Amino acid sequence: MNRLWKEFSKGLWKDLPPFKIVLGLCPVLAVTKTAYNGLGMGLAVIFVLTLSNLLVSLLRKAIPAKVRIACFIVVAASLVVCVELLMQAYAYPLYLQLGIFVPLIVVNCIILGRAEAFASKNPTHLAVADGLGMGIGFALSLTFLGSVREMFGYGTWFGMELAGDWYEPFAFMIEAPGAFVCLGLVLAGMNALTNWQRRTRGLEAIEGPIHDCKTCGLCATKPRI
Amino acid sequence: MLRPQRPILTVSMAPHVHCGRTIKGHMGETIIALMPAMVMAAMVFGMDAVRVMALSCAVAVTTEALCNRLAGRDPAVDDLHALLTGLLFACLLPASAPWWLVTVGSASSIGLGKAIFGGLGATPLCPPLVGWAVCRISWPKAMDTNTTMLGTTLPDPLQQLKFFGTDAVASLDPMALFTGHQLGGLGAVHIAALLAGGVFLLIRRHIAWEVPVAFIAGLLCTAWIYQLLDPAAHAAPLLHLLTGSAVFGAFFLATDPASSPIGRIPSLIYGLMAGVMVIIIRVYSIYPDGVPFAILLANLFTPLLDRIRPRPFGGPYTLTQEKEDQATCVKHCG
Repeated sequence: MNRLWKEFSKGLWKDLPPFKIVLGLCPVLAVTKTAYNGLGMGLAVIFVLTLSNLLVSLLRKAIPAKVRIACFIVVAASLVVCVELLMQAYAYPLYLQLGIFVPLIVVNCIILGRAEAFASKNPTHLAVADGLGMGIGFALSLTFLGSVREMFGYGTWFGMELAGDWYEPFAFMIEAPGAFVCLGLVLAGMNALTNWQRRTRGLEAIEGPIHDCKTCGLCATKPRI
Repeated sequence: MLRPQRPILTVSMAPHVHCGRTIKGHMGETIIALMPAMVMAAMVFGMDAVRVMALSCAVAVTTEALCNRLAGRDPAVDDLHALLTGLLFACLLPASAPWWLVTVGSASSIGLGKAIFGGLGATPLCPPLVGWAVCRISWPKAMDTNTTMLGTTLPDPLQQLKFFGTDAVASLDPMALFTGHQLGGLGAVHIAALLAGGVFLLIRRHIAWEVPVAFIAGLLCTAWIYQLLDPAAHAAPLLHLLTGSAVFGAFFLATDPASSPIGRIPSLIYGLMAGVMVIIIRVYSIYPDGVPFAILLANLFTPLLDRIRPRPFGGPYTLTQEKEDQATCVKHCG
Protein backbone atom coordinates (compact mmCIF):
# COMPACT_ATOMS: atom_id res chain seq x y z
CA MET A 1 0.00 0.00 0.00
CA ASN A 2 2.84 2.31 0.91
CA ARG A 3 4.56 1.67 -2.43
CA LEU A 4 1.27 2.20 -4.27
CA TRP A 5 0.80 5.62 -2.66
CA LYS A 6 4.41 6.52 -3.41
CA GLU A 7 4.03 5.75 -7.12
CA PHE A 8 0.72 7.60 -7.26
CA SER A 9 1.81 10.72 -5.42
CA LYS A 10 5.10 11.27 -7.22
CA GLY A 11 3.23 12.50 -10.31
CA LEU A 12 1.45 15.14 -8.27
CA TRP A 13 4.48 17.12 -7.18
CA LYS A 14 7.89 15.40 -7.16
CA ASP A 15 7.86 14.39 -10.85
CA LEU A 16 5.09 16.71 -12.06
CA PRO A 17 5.06 15.99 -15.82
CA PRO A 18 5.21 19.36 -17.56
CA PHE A 19 6.91 21.42 -14.87
CA LYS A 20 9.35 19.05 -13.17
CA ILE A 21 10.34 16.46 -15.78
CA VAL A 22 9.33 18.78 -18.66
CA LEU A 23 7.62 16.21 -20.87
CA GLY A 24 4.55 16.57 -23.07
CA LEU A 25 5.16 20.22 -23.89
CA CYS A 26 3.24 20.18 -27.18
CA PRO A 27 -0.25 20.25 -25.58
CA VAL A 28 1.06 22.38 -22.71
CA LEU A 29 1.95 25.14 -25.16
CA ALA A 30 -0.80 24.64 -27.70
CA VAL A 31 -4.11 24.05 -25.91
CA THR A 32 -3.79 26.11 -22.72
CA LYS A 33 -5.44 29.23 -24.12
CA THR A 34 -8.26 28.78 -21.60
CA ALA A 35 -8.60 26.82 -18.38
CA TYR A 36 -11.48 24.81 -19.89
CA ASN A 37 -9.34 23.60 -22.80
CA GLY A 38 -6.51 22.73 -20.45
CA LEU A 39 -8.80 20.69 -18.20
CA GLY A 40 -10.37 18.87 -21.16
CA MET A 41 -6.99 17.98 -22.59
CA GLY A 42 -5.82 16.89 -19.13
CA LEU A 43 -8.81 14.55 -18.69
CA ALA A 44 -8.13 12.96 -22.09
CA VAL A 45 -4.50 12.40 -21.09
CA ILE A 46 -5.51 10.88 -17.71
CA PHE A 47 -7.71 8.36 -19.57
CA VAL A 48 -5.08 7.44 -22.16
CA LEU A 49 -2.15 7.37 -19.75
CA THR A 50 -3.83 5.17 -17.12
CA LEU A 51 -5.15 2.64 -19.62
CA SER A 52 -1.94 2.60 -21.68
CA ASN A 53 0.08 1.93 -18.52
CA LEU A 54 -2.36 -0.82 -17.59
CA LEU A 55 -2.19 -2.51 -20.99
CA VAL A 56 1.55 -2.14 -21.41
CA SER A 57 2.10 -3.56 -17.95
CA LEU A 58 -0.19 -6.51 -18.67
CA LEU A 59 1.55 -7.15 -21.99
CA ARG A 60 5.08 -6.54 -20.74
CA LYS A 61 6.00 -10.25 -20.81
CA ALA A 62 4.53 -10.72 -24.30
CA ILE A 63 6.08 -7.71 -26.07
CA PRO A 64 9.45 -8.50 -27.72
CA ALA A 65 12.11 -6.04 -26.62
CA LYS A 66 13.17 -5.10 -30.14
CA VAL A 67 9.77 -3.83 -31.26
CA ARG A 68 8.58 -2.48 -27.92
CA ILE A 69 8.33 1.16 -29.02
CA ALA A 70 6.07 0.26 -31.93
CA CYS A 71 3.89 -1.83 -29.61
CA PHE A 72 3.58 1.03 -27.09
CA ILE A 73 2.57 3.39 -29.88
CA VAL A 74 -0.09 0.94 -31.12
CA VAL A 75 -1.54 0.65 -27.62
CA ALA A 76 -1.57 4.43 -27.15
CA ALA A 77 -3.03 5.01 -30.62
CA SER A 78 -5.94 2.61 -30.00
CA LEU A 79 -6.76 4.39 -26.74
CA VAL A 80 -6.51 7.83 -28.35
CA VAL A 81 -8.98 6.79 -31.03
CA CYS A 82 -11.34 5.76 -28.20
CA VAL A 83 -10.95 9.18 -26.58
CA GLU A 84 -11.49 10.92 -29.90
CA LEU A 85 -14.72 9.04 -30.59
CA LEU A 86 -15.96 9.58 -27.02
CA MET A 87 -15.23 13.30 -27.28
CA GLN A 88 -17.04 13.56 -30.59
CA ALA A 89 -20.04 11.88 -29.00
CA TYR A 90 -20.23 13.65 -25.64
CA ALA A 91 -18.06 16.80 -25.77
CA TYR A 92 -18.18 18.00 -29.34
CA PRO A 93 -17.44 21.73 -28.67
CA LEU A 94 -14.35 20.76 -26.70
CA TYR A 95 -13.30 18.43 -29.50
CA LEU A 96 -13.55 21.31 -31.99
CA GLN A 97 -11.47 23.50 -29.66
CA LEU A 98 -8.69 20.96 -29.18
CA GLY A 99 -8.63 19.96 -32.85
CA ILE A 100 -5.49 18.20 -34.03
CA PHE A 101 -4.05 18.00 -30.51
CA VAL A 102 -6.34 15.11 -29.51
CA PRO A 103 -4.85 12.70 -32.13
CA LEU A 104 -1.44 14.07 -31.21
CA ILE A 105 -1.73 12.58 -27.71
CA VAL A 106 -0.40 9.39 -29.37
CA VAL A 107 3.04 10.90 -29.75
CA ASN A 108 2.94 12.72 -26.42
CA CYS A 109 6.21 12.01 -24.65
CA ILE A 110 4.54 11.29 -21.32
CA ILE A 111 2.59 8.31 -22.67
CA LEU A 112 5.66 6.74 -24.25
CA GLY A 113 7.93 7.82 -21.42
CA ARG A 114 5.81 6.21 -18.71
CA ALA A 115 5.31 3.06 -20.80
CA GLU A 116 9.02 2.71 -21.45
CA ALA A 117 10.42 3.84 -18.12
CA PHE A 118 7.80 2.48 -15.74
CA ALA A 119 4.95 0.33 -17.01
CA SER A 120 7.13 -2.09 -18.97
CA LYS A 121 9.17 -2.89 -15.87
CA ASN A 122 6.58 -2.92 -13.08
CA PRO A 123 3.53 -4.93 -12.04
CA THR A 124 0.08 -3.83 -13.10
CA HIS A 125 -1.23 -2.19 -9.92
CA LEU A 126 1.87 0.03 -9.63
CA ALA A 127 1.69 0.97 -13.31
CA VAL A 128 -1.94 2.05 -12.97
CA ALA A 129 -1.13 4.10 -9.86
CA ASP A 130 1.76 5.73 -11.71
CA GLY A 131 -0.35 6.50 -14.79
CA LEU A 132 -3.19 7.91 -12.70
CA GLY A 133 -0.85 10.09 -10.63
CA MET A 134 1.05 11.40 -13.64
CA GLY A 135 -2.20 12.01 -15.52
CA ILE A 136 -3.76 13.96 -12.65
CA GLY A 137 -0.58 15.98 -12.23
CA PHE A 138 -0.59 16.75 -15.94
CA ALA A 139 -4.26 17.75 -15.92
CA LEU A 140 -3.77 20.03 -12.90
CA SER A 141 -0.72 21.67 -14.49
CA LEU A 142 -2.57 22.26 -17.76
CA THR A 143 -5.54 23.73 -15.91
CA PHE A 144 -3.22 25.97 -13.90
CA LEU A 145 -1.38 27.26 -16.98
CA GLY A 146 -4.67 27.65 -18.84
CA SER A 147 -6.12 29.63 -15.92
CA VAL A 148 -3.14 31.99 -15.78
CA ARG A 149 -3.22 32.60 -19.52
CA GLU A 150 -7.00 32.98 -19.63
CA MET A 151 -7.08 35.38 -16.68
CA PHE A 152 -4.50 37.69 -18.24
CA GLY A 153 -5.46 37.19 -21.87
CA TYR A 154 -9.26 37.37 -21.63
CA GLY A 155 -9.89 38.57 -18.08
CA THR A 156 -12.06 35.50 -17.43
CA TRP A 157 -11.73 32.14 -15.64
CA PHE A 158 -13.61 29.12 -17.01
CA GLY A 159 -15.65 31.68 -18.94
CA MET A 160 -16.62 33.70 -15.83
CA GLU A 161 -15.98 37.42 -15.98
CA LEU A 162 -13.36 38.33 -13.38
CA ALA A 163 -12.49 41.90 -14.31
CA GLY A 164 -14.72 44.84 -15.12
CA ASP A 165 -14.98 46.81 -18.33
CA TRP A 166 -11.85 48.78 -17.48
CA TYR A 167 -9.67 45.72 -18.07
CA GLU A 168 -7.78 45.76 -21.36
CA PRO A 169 -7.09 42.09 -22.23
CA PHE A 170 -3.37 41.33 -22.29
CA ALA A 171 -3.64 39.47 -25.61
CA PHE A 172 0.07 38.58 -25.63
CA MET A 173 -0.65 35.80 -23.11
CA ILE A 174 -3.05 33.89 -25.36
CA GLU A 175 -0.80 34.10 -28.42
CA ALA A 176 1.92 31.54 -29.11
CA PRO A 177 4.83 33.62 -27.72
CA GLY A 178 2.84 34.14 -24.51
CA ALA A 179 2.66 30.35 -24.05
CA PHE A 180 6.44 30.04 -24.18
CA VAL A 181 7.01 33.02 -21.90
CA CYS A 182 4.39 31.80 -19.43
CA LEU A 183 5.81 28.25 -19.35
CA GLY A 184 9.32 29.61 -18.89
CA LEU A 185 8.23 31.82 -15.99
CA VAL A 186 6.40 28.92 -14.32
CA LEU A 187 9.48 26.68 -14.71
CA ALA A 188 11.65 29.42 -13.21
CA GLY A 189 9.18 29.78 -10.37
CA MET A 190 9.22 26.00 -9.73
CA ASN A 191 13.02 25.98 -9.60
CA ALA A 192 13.07 28.95 -7.24
CA LEU A 193 10.51 27.21 -5.01
CA THR A 194 12.50 23.97 -4.99
CA ASN A 195 15.68 25.80 -4.06
CA TRP A 196 13.90 27.75 -1.35
CA GLN A 197 12.54 24.48 0.10
CA ARG A 198 16.01 22.93 0.00
CA ARG A 199 17.52 25.92 1.73
CA THR A 200 14.96 25.86 4.52
CA ARG A 201 15.86 22.20 5.06
CA GLY A 202 19.52 23.12 5.22
CA LEU A 203 20.42 21.57 1.85
CA GLU A 204 22.44 23.22 -0.88
CA ALA A 205 20.55 24.94 -3.69
CA ILE A 206 20.64 23.29 -7.13
CA GLU A 207 22.36 25.36 -9.80
CA GLY A 208 21.87 24.38 -13.41
CA PRO A 209 20.08 21.36 -14.85
CA ILE A 210 20.31 17.90 -13.36
CA HIS A 211 20.20 14.74 -15.43
CA ASP A 212 18.92 11.57 -13.89
CA CYS A 213 17.39 8.37 -15.25
CA LYS A 214 13.83 8.99 -14.09
CA THR A 215 12.32 9.47 -17.50
CA CYS A 216 14.83 8.07 -19.93
CA GLY A 217 15.43 4.37 -20.36
CA LEU A 218 17.64 4.70 -23.39
CA CYS A 219 20.91 3.99 -21.64
CA ALA A 220 19.66 0.62 -20.36
CA THR A 221 21.64 -1.85 -22.43
CA LYS A 222 19.36 -4.79 -21.71
CA PRO A 223 15.65 -3.98 -21.39
CA ARG A 224 13.95 -6.19 -18.86
CA ILE A 225 11.06 -7.22 -21.05
CA MET B 1 24.82 50.82 -1.92
CA LEU B 2 26.27 51.96 -5.23
CA ARG B 3 29.49 50.59 -6.58
CA PRO B 4 32.39 53.04 -6.77
CA GLN B 5 32.75 54.20 -10.37
CA ARG B 6 36.50 54.66 -10.42
CA PRO B 7 38.38 52.71 -7.79
CA ILE B 8 41.06 54.79 -6.13
CA LEU B 9 43.60 52.02 -5.78
CA THR B 10 43.50 48.70 -7.55
CA VAL B 11 46.08 45.98 -7.38
CA SER B 12 45.51 43.65 -10.27
CA MET B 13 47.01 41.61 -13.05
CA ALA B 14 48.15 43.27 -16.27
CA PRO B 15 47.00 45.13 -18.35
CA HIS B 16 47.26 48.19 -16.15
CA VAL B 17 46.30 50.83 -18.68
CA HIS B 18 42.59 51.39 -19.26
CA CYS B 19 41.24 53.43 -22.14
CA GLY B 20 38.83 55.11 -19.75
CA ARG B 21 35.65 53.97 -21.47
CA THR B 22 32.99 52.75 -19.11
CA ILE B 23 29.54 51.26 -19.58
CA LYS B 24 28.14 54.31 -17.87
CA GLY B 25 29.97 56.60 -20.27
CA HIS B 26 28.74 54.67 -23.29
CA MET B 27 25.12 54.67 -22.15
CA GLY B 28 25.33 58.31 -21.09
CA GLU B 29 26.58 59.44 -24.47
CA THR B 30 23.90 57.39 -26.23
CA ILE B 31 21.32 59.24 -24.13
CA ILE B 32 22.96 62.53 -25.13
CA ALA B 33 22.68 61.43 -28.76
CA LEU B 34 18.96 60.91 -28.21
CA MET B 35 18.55 64.41 -26.72
CA PRO B 36 17.73 66.22 -30.01
CA ALA B 37 14.99 63.71 -30.80
CA MET B 38 13.61 64.02 -27.25
CA VAL B 39 13.51 67.81 -27.51
CA MET B 40 11.81 67.57 -30.90
CA ALA B 41 9.29 65.08 -29.48
CA ALA B 42 8.47 67.46 -26.64
CA MET B 43 8.06 70.34 -29.11
CA VAL B 44 5.89 68.48 -31.64
CA PHE B 45 3.78 66.23 -29.37
CA GLY B 46 3.82 68.42 -26.25
CA MET B 47 3.56 67.24 -22.67
CA ASP B 48 2.11 63.88 -23.73
CA ALA B 49 5.48 62.84 -25.10
CA VAL B 50 7.28 64.00 -21.96
CA ARG B 51 4.78 62.06 -19.84
CA VAL B 52 5.37 58.81 -21.81
CA MET B 53 9.17 59.18 -21.74
CA ALA B 54 9.32 59.97 -18.02
CA LEU B 55 7.01 57.13 -17.05
CA SER B 56 8.83 54.64 -19.25
CA CYS B 57 12.24 55.57 -17.82
CA ALA B 58 10.97 55.45 -14.25
CA VAL B 59 9.38 52.03 -14.72
CA ALA B 60 12.47 50.65 -16.49
CA VAL B 61 14.81 51.76 -13.70
CA THR B 62 12.48 50.44 -10.99
CA THR B 63 12.15 47.07 -12.74
CA GLU B 64 15.90 46.84 -13.15
CA ALA B 65 16.47 47.50 -9.45
CA LEU B 66 13.80 44.95 -8.55
CA CYS B 67 15.24 42.28 -10.88
CA ASN B 68 18.75 42.85 -9.52
CA ARG B 69 17.40 42.40 -6.01
CA LEU B 70 15.54 39.21 -6.95
CA ALA B 71 18.60 37.77 -8.65
CA GLY B 72 20.77 38.65 -5.66
CA ARG B 73 23.11 40.89 -7.65
CA ASP B 74 24.65 44.27 -7.01
CA PRO B 75 22.21 46.98 -8.08
CA ALA B 76 23.26 48.03 -11.59
CA VAL B 77 20.88 50.90 -12.26
CA ASP B 78 23.74 53.37 -12.09
CA ASP B 79 25.21 52.07 -15.36
CA LEU B 80 22.32 53.90 -17.09
CA HIS B 81 21.43 50.97 -19.32
CA ALA B 82 17.95 50.67 -17.79
CA LEU B 83 17.39 54.40 -18.27
CA LEU B 84 18.48 54.14 -21.91
CA THR B 85 16.25 51.11 -22.50
CA GLY B 86 13.26 52.93 -21.07
CA LEU B 87 13.99 55.93 -23.25
CA LEU B 88 14.41 53.88 -26.43
CA PHE B 89 11.17 52.03 -25.67
CA ALA B 90 9.33 55.33 -25.15
CA CYS B 91 10.65 56.62 -28.46
CA LEU B 92 8.85 53.77 -30.24
CA LEU B 93 5.48 54.49 -28.62
CA PRO B 94 2.85 56.92 -29.87
CA ALA B 95 2.61 60.02 -27.69
CA SER B 96 -0.97 59.03 -26.86
CA ALA B 97 0.04 55.73 -25.21
CA PRO B 98 -1.96 55.13 -22.01
CA TRP B 99 -0.06 54.77 -18.75
CA TRP B 100 -0.74 51.03 -18.30
CA LEU B 101 0.65 50.25 -21.73
CA VAL B 102 3.82 52.21 -21.02
CA THR B 103 4.20 50.49 -17.65
CA VAL B 104 3.71 46.94 -18.91
CA GLY B 105 5.87 47.51 -22.00
CA SER B 106 8.72 49.14 -20.15
CA ALA B 107 8.66 46.49 -17.42
CA SER B 108 8.72 43.69 -20.00
CA SER B 109 11.57 45.41 -21.88
CA ILE B 110 13.73 45.06 -18.78
CA GLY B 111 12.18 41.91 -17.28
CA LEU B 112 11.66 39.74 -20.36
CA GLY B 113 14.22 41.40 -22.59
CA LYS B 114 17.16 41.81 -20.26
CA ALA B 115 16.98 40.38 -16.73
CA ILE B 116 15.79 36.89 -17.69
CA PHE B 117 18.72 36.38 -20.05
CA GLY B 118 21.26 37.35 -17.44
CA GLY B 119 21.39 41.13 -17.56
CA LEU B 120 23.63 43.55 -19.38
CA GLY B 121 25.60 42.06 -22.27
CA ALA B 122 23.69 38.77 -22.33
CA THR B 123 20.61 39.90 -24.25
CA PRO B 124 20.02 37.97 -27.48
CA LEU B 125 17.36 40.51 -28.54
CA CYS B 126 17.36 44.28 -28.35
CA PRO B 127 15.48 44.85 -25.02
CA PRO B 128 13.27 47.83 -26.02
CA LEU B 129 12.03 45.88 -29.04
CA VAL B 130 10.90 43.00 -26.81
CA GLY B 131 8.70 45.41 -24.87
CA TRP B 132 7.46 46.94 -28.10
CA ALA B 133 6.55 43.52 -29.54
CA VAL B 134 4.65 42.55 -26.38
CA CYS B 135 2.62 45.77 -26.56
CA ARG B 136 2.09 45.61 -30.31
CA ILE B 137 0.68 42.06 -30.10
CA SER B 138 -1.42 42.76 -27.02
CA TRP B 139 -2.95 46.14 -27.73
CA PRO B 140 -2.77 46.86 -31.48
CA LYS B 141 -5.39 49.62 -31.15
CA ALA B 142 -3.60 51.55 -28.43
CA MET B 143 -0.33 51.31 -30.38
CA ASP B 144 -1.93 52.66 -33.54
CA THR B 145 -1.15 56.36 -33.91
CA ASN B 146 -3.81 56.88 -36.53
CA THR B 147 -6.74 55.92 -34.31
CA THR B 148 -5.49 57.37 -31.03
CA MET B 149 -4.32 60.78 -32.22
CA LEU B 150 -7.29 62.03 -34.19
CA GLY B 151 -6.76 65.63 -33.08
CA THR B 152 -3.58 66.27 -35.04
CA THR B 153 -3.11 67.43 -38.60
CA LEU B 154 0.11 65.47 -39.03
CA PRO B 155 0.05 62.68 -41.63
CA ASP B 156 0.86 59.04 -40.87
CA PRO B 157 2.61 58.05 -44.12
CA LEU B 158 3.06 54.33 -43.50
CA GLN B 159 -0.58 53.78 -42.53
CA GLN B 160 -1.70 55.71 -45.60
CA LEU B 161 0.66 53.71 -47.77
CA LYS B 162 -0.64 50.45 -46.30
CA PHE B 163 -4.33 51.19 -46.63
CA PHE B 164 -4.66 53.76 -49.44
CA GLY B 165 -1.73 52.97 -51.76
CA THR B 166 0.99 55.14 -53.23
CA ASP B 167 -1.32 57.96 -54.38
CA ALA B 168 -2.05 58.91 -50.79
CA VAL B 169 1.61 59.51 -49.99
CA ALA B 170 2.63 61.07 -53.33
CA SER B 171 1.83 64.60 -52.15
CA LEU B 172 3.96 64.39 -48.98
CA ASP B 173 6.91 66.74 -48.92
CA PRO B 174 10.17 64.83 -48.16
CA MET B 175 11.55 67.93 -46.41
CA ALA B 176 8.60 68.02 -43.99
CA LEU B 177 9.03 64.30 -43.31
CA PHE B 178 12.75 64.86 -42.76
CA THR B 179 12.13 67.45 -40.06
CA GLY B 180 9.67 65.17 -38.29
CA HIS B 181 6.24 66.37 -39.41
CA GLN B 182 4.59 62.94 -39.31
CA LEU B 183 2.94 60.56 -36.88
CA GLY B 184 4.61 57.47 -35.51
CA GLY B 185 6.79 56.60 -32.56
CA LEU B 186 7.15 59.81 -30.55
CA GLY B 187 10.93 59.93 -30.82
CA ALA B 188 11.41 57.75 -33.87
CA VAL B 189 9.98 60.11 -36.49
CA HIS B 190 12.36 63.06 -36.04
CA ILE B 191 14.68 61.97 -38.81
CA ALA B 192 16.94 65.03 -38.80
CA ALA B 193 17.42 65.00 -35.03
CA LEU B 194 18.10 61.27 -35.01
CA LEU B 195 20.64 61.62 -37.83
CA ALA B 196 22.44 64.27 -35.80
CA GLY B 197 22.50 61.91 -32.82
CA GLY B 198 23.66 59.04 -35.01
CA VAL B 199 26.53 61.06 -36.44
CA PHE B 200 27.54 62.02 -32.91
CA LEU B 201 27.61 58.34 -31.94
CA LEU B 202 29.66 57.49 -35.03
CA ILE B 203 32.18 60.26 -34.32
CA ARG B 204 32.47 59.19 -30.69
CA ARG B 205 32.95 55.62 -31.98
CA HIS B 206 30.14 54.22 -29.83
CA ILE B 207 28.66 52.45 -32.82
CA ALA B 208 30.42 50.96 -35.84
CA TRP B 209 29.52 52.48 -39.21
CA GLU B 210 28.82 49.06 -40.77
CA VAL B 211 25.43 48.39 -39.21
CA PRO B 212 23.64 51.69 -40.01
CA VAL B 213 25.19 51.95 -43.48
CA ALA B 214 24.29 48.37 -44.40
CA PHE B 215 20.82 48.79 -42.88
CA ILE B 216 20.03 51.91 -44.90
CA ALA B 217 21.61 50.45 -48.05
CA GLY B 218 19.56 47.27 -47.73
CA LEU B 219 16.39 49.25 -47.14
CA LEU B 220 16.94 51.61 -50.11
CA CYS B 221 18.00 48.84 -52.51
CA THR B 222 15.04 46.59 -51.68
CA ALA B 223 12.59 49.47 -51.95
CA TRP B 224 14.18 50.43 -55.29
CA ILE B 225 13.83 46.86 -56.62
CA TYR B 226 10.17 46.79 -55.60
CA GLN B 227 9.61 50.12 -57.29
CA LEU B 228 11.25 48.84 -60.49
CA LEU B 229 8.94 45.82 -60.42
CA ASP B 230 5.77 47.88 -60.07
CA PRO B 231 6.04 51.69 -59.70
CA ALA B 232 2.29 52.05 -59.20
CA ALA B 233 2.05 49.75 -56.20
CA HIS B 234 5.24 50.52 -54.27
CA ALA B 235 6.48 53.76 -52.76
CA ALA B 236 9.80 55.44 -53.51
CA PRO B 237 12.90 54.30 -51.59
CA LEU B 238 13.36 57.77 -50.05
CA LEU B 239 9.86 57.69 -48.60
CA HIS B 240 10.58 54.36 -46.94
CA LEU B 241 13.72 55.79 -45.39
CA LEU B 242 12.08 58.98 -44.15
CA THR B 243 9.01 57.36 -42.58
CA GLY B 244 8.41 55.20 -39.55
CA SER B 245 11.34 54.29 -37.35
CA ALA B 246 13.83 53.37 -40.12
CA VAL B 247 16.56 55.86 -39.16
CA PHE B 248 15.93 55.32 -35.45
CA GLY B 249 16.29 51.57 -35.95
CA ALA B 250 19.44 51.91 -38.05
CA PHE B 251 21.34 54.08 -35.55
CA PHE B 252 19.92 53.21 -32.14
CA LEU B 253 18.24 49.79 -32.15
CA ALA B 254 20.14 47.64 -34.65
CA THR B 255 23.43 48.79 -33.12
CA ASP B 256 22.58 47.49 -29.64
CA PRO B 257 26.00 46.22 -28.52
CA ALA B 258 24.91 42.90 -27.01
CA SER B 259 22.55 41.73 -29.74
CA SER B 260 24.48 42.74 -32.87
CA PRO B 261 27.49 40.88 -34.34
CA ILE B 262 31.06 41.97 -33.75
CA GLY B 263 33.18 41.71 -36.91
CA ARG B 264 33.01 43.88 -40.00
CA ILE B 265 31.58 41.34 -42.47
CA PRO B 266 29.04 39.94 -39.97
CA SER B 267 27.90 43.48 -39.16
CA LEU B 268 27.42 44.28 -42.83
CA ILE B 269 25.39 41.10 -43.41
CA TYR B 270 23.37 41.77 -40.26
CA GLY B 271 22.53 45.34 -41.29
CA LEU B 272 21.64 44.30 -44.83
CA MET B 273 19.39 41.54 -43.53
CA ALA B 274 17.52 43.90 -41.24
CA GLY B 275 17.17 46.55 -43.96
CA VAL B 276 15.83 44.08 -46.52
CA MET B 277 13.38 42.63 -43.98
CA VAL B 278 11.99 46.11 -43.22
CA ILE B 279 10.74 46.52 -46.78
CA ILE B 280 9.53 42.93 -47.07
CA ILE B 281 7.47 43.33 -43.88
CA ARG B 282 6.17 46.74 -44.96
CA VAL B 283 5.08 45.36 -48.34
CA TYR B 284 3.55 42.02 -47.38
CA SER B 285 2.55 41.97 -43.69
CA ILE B 286 -0.31 43.55 -41.75
CA TYR B 287 2.14 45.76 -39.82
CA PRO B 288 2.60 49.19 -41.43
CA ASP B 289 6.07 49.68 -39.94
CA GLY B 290 8.33 46.65 -40.19
CA VAL B 291 11.44 48.09 -38.52
CA PRO B 292 11.13 46.58 -35.01
CA PHE B 293 10.24 43.10 -36.22
CA ALA B 294 12.96 43.23 -38.89
CA ILE B 295 15.59 44.07 -36.27
CA LEU B 296 14.29 41.37 -33.92
CA LEU B 297 14.63 38.81 -36.73
CA ALA B 298 18.13 39.98 -37.59
CA ASN B 299 19.05 39.78 -33.88
CA LEU B 300 18.25 36.08 -33.98
CA PHE B 301 20.92 35.57 -36.65
CA THR B 302 23.63 37.23 -34.57
CA PRO B 303 25.04 34.04 -32.98
CA LEU B 304 25.24 32.49 -36.44
CA LEU B 305 26.91 35.54 -37.98
CA ASP B 306 29.41 35.70 -35.14
CA ARG B 307 30.81 32.40 -36.40
CA ILE B 308 32.40 34.37 -39.22
CA ARG B 309 35.64 35.24 -37.49
CA PRO B 310 38.58 37.38 -38.45
CA ARG B 311 41.80 35.64 -39.39
CA PRO B 312 43.99 35.51 -36.32
CA PHE B 313 47.44 37.06 -36.25
CA GLY B 314 49.90 34.61 -37.76
CA GLY B 315 47.11 32.88 -39.74
CA PRO B 316 45.83 31.62 -42.13
CA TYR B 317 43.85 29.31 -39.94
CA THR B 318 40.50 28.04 -41.17
CA LEU B 319 37.78 25.84 -39.83
CA THR B 320 38.79 22.96 -42.12
CA GLN B 321 42.26 23.18 -40.70
CA GLU B 322 40.80 22.98 -37.23
CA LYS B 323 39.18 19.67 -38.19
CA GLU B 324 42.47 18.37 -39.62
CA ASP B 325 44.23 19.35 -36.43
CA GLN B 326 41.66 17.47 -34.41
CA ALA B 327 42.12 14.43 -36.68
CA THR B 328 45.90 14.45 -36.29
CA CYS B 329 45.51 14.95 -32.57
CA VAL B 330 43.24 11.92 -32.39
CA LYS B 331 45.74 9.93 -34.47
CA HIS B 332 48.62 10.87 -32.22
CA CYS B 333 46.91 10.68 -28.89
CA GLY B 334 44.41 7.92 -29.43
